[in-house]
Amino acid sequence: MLRGTVAADPTRRVVLAAAALLPLAAVSGCGSVDVLATPPSEAPDVGLLRSAIAAEQIMIAYYGTVLHGARGPGGGSAAAGLAAALEPLLAEHRAHLAQLQSRLIIPVGTSASASPSPSGRAAGAHPVPTAPAAAIAFLQAAEEAAATALLARLVTAPSSLAQLFASISASEATHVPVLDAVARGPAGQAG
Amino acid sequence: MSRQASPARQAAGTVSALQAALTAEHAAVYGYGVAGAHLTGSKQAAASRDWVAHQEARDKLEALLRARGSQPVAAAVAYRLPIRVRNSSGAASLAVLLEDRITTAYLGLVALDTITVRKFGALQVQASALRAAYWRGSTVAFPGLPASALAAPGPGSGSGS
Repeated sequence: MLRGTVAADPTRRVVLAAAALLPLAAVSGCGSVDVLATPPSEAPDVGLLRSAIAAEQIMIAYYGTVLHGARGPGGGSAAAGLAAALEPLLAEHRAHLAQLQSRLIIPVGTSASASPSPSGRAAGAHPVPTAPAAAIAFLQAAEEAAATALLARLVTAPSSLAQLFASISASEATHVPVLDAVARGPAGQAG
Repeated sequence: MSRQASPARQAAGTVSALQAALTAEHAAVYGYGVAGAHLTGSKQAAASRDWVAHQEARDKLEALLRARGSQPVAAAVAYRLPIRVRNSSGAASLAVLLEDRITTAYLGLVALDTITVRKFGALQVQASALRAAYWRGSTVAFPGLPASALAAPGPGSGSGS
């Protein structure tokens, strides 16, 4: 019902889910959703969310590239160890992305260009080094940069989005020492 | 809604969030003292390092409260700890519990509109998540966020097609 209502209003291509749910909840007793005729302002919050989503998609692409290399032929046990260490971190990035995307309502029928494509090389992404040690150092730097970028984004975000950004930023910060341990372990020394 | 709150209500919200974080820090300072007594070597050094970090955060919160004309909540003489610590693994579990609570308390600061407090909260969320990950031995996707704050993945929650 929520998505249908949003889609029915052509001027409201995308709204923040959290902001949209609030007025809906307030009128849920009377069965009307007319309150969406005066929706909250859209642009800045959606822009913050979109850049956070794009950043997560880039991180997922980075991990995918490194894992693809580790699973390739001739990887050996060191590569298997690397993959085992990276998989949980990738899973957390996927969870981040799902939560961020759940905060956006993209109406059915909106063109796919409304959301950055996860396939291929994402905009703003850098080439990932192929040597394992260099790849891990690259992921570490990317995690640090992603965590810092979210700290900057949360300053102007609405409260609930700021909390999500802070939590994801913290999660990404915790990936750095994990990667540090990987780099000092056998998998990291392989390259 | 909170963004339209009156200045007085906003200030009251800031003070109560700061007091909540301070209460969690008082408990952590106490708890790390207990945990440290059951640890040795590098783990004890880590507990000692974290204990100092919590004292510093406590001092910062007290200063923020005083700057707002509020009396910081005092530490209790003793705290009922969430688990009874008998050995080193219990000490690590206690540290995880304390850090998780603190992470959530600092997320309360992140929700505030005062930029300096929000930034301080976000940095403390990072710091406590890092300490929690150390003691837990693994990471989590959403430090400090209760499950109820997260959208359940599945139909209706995705970005759509």
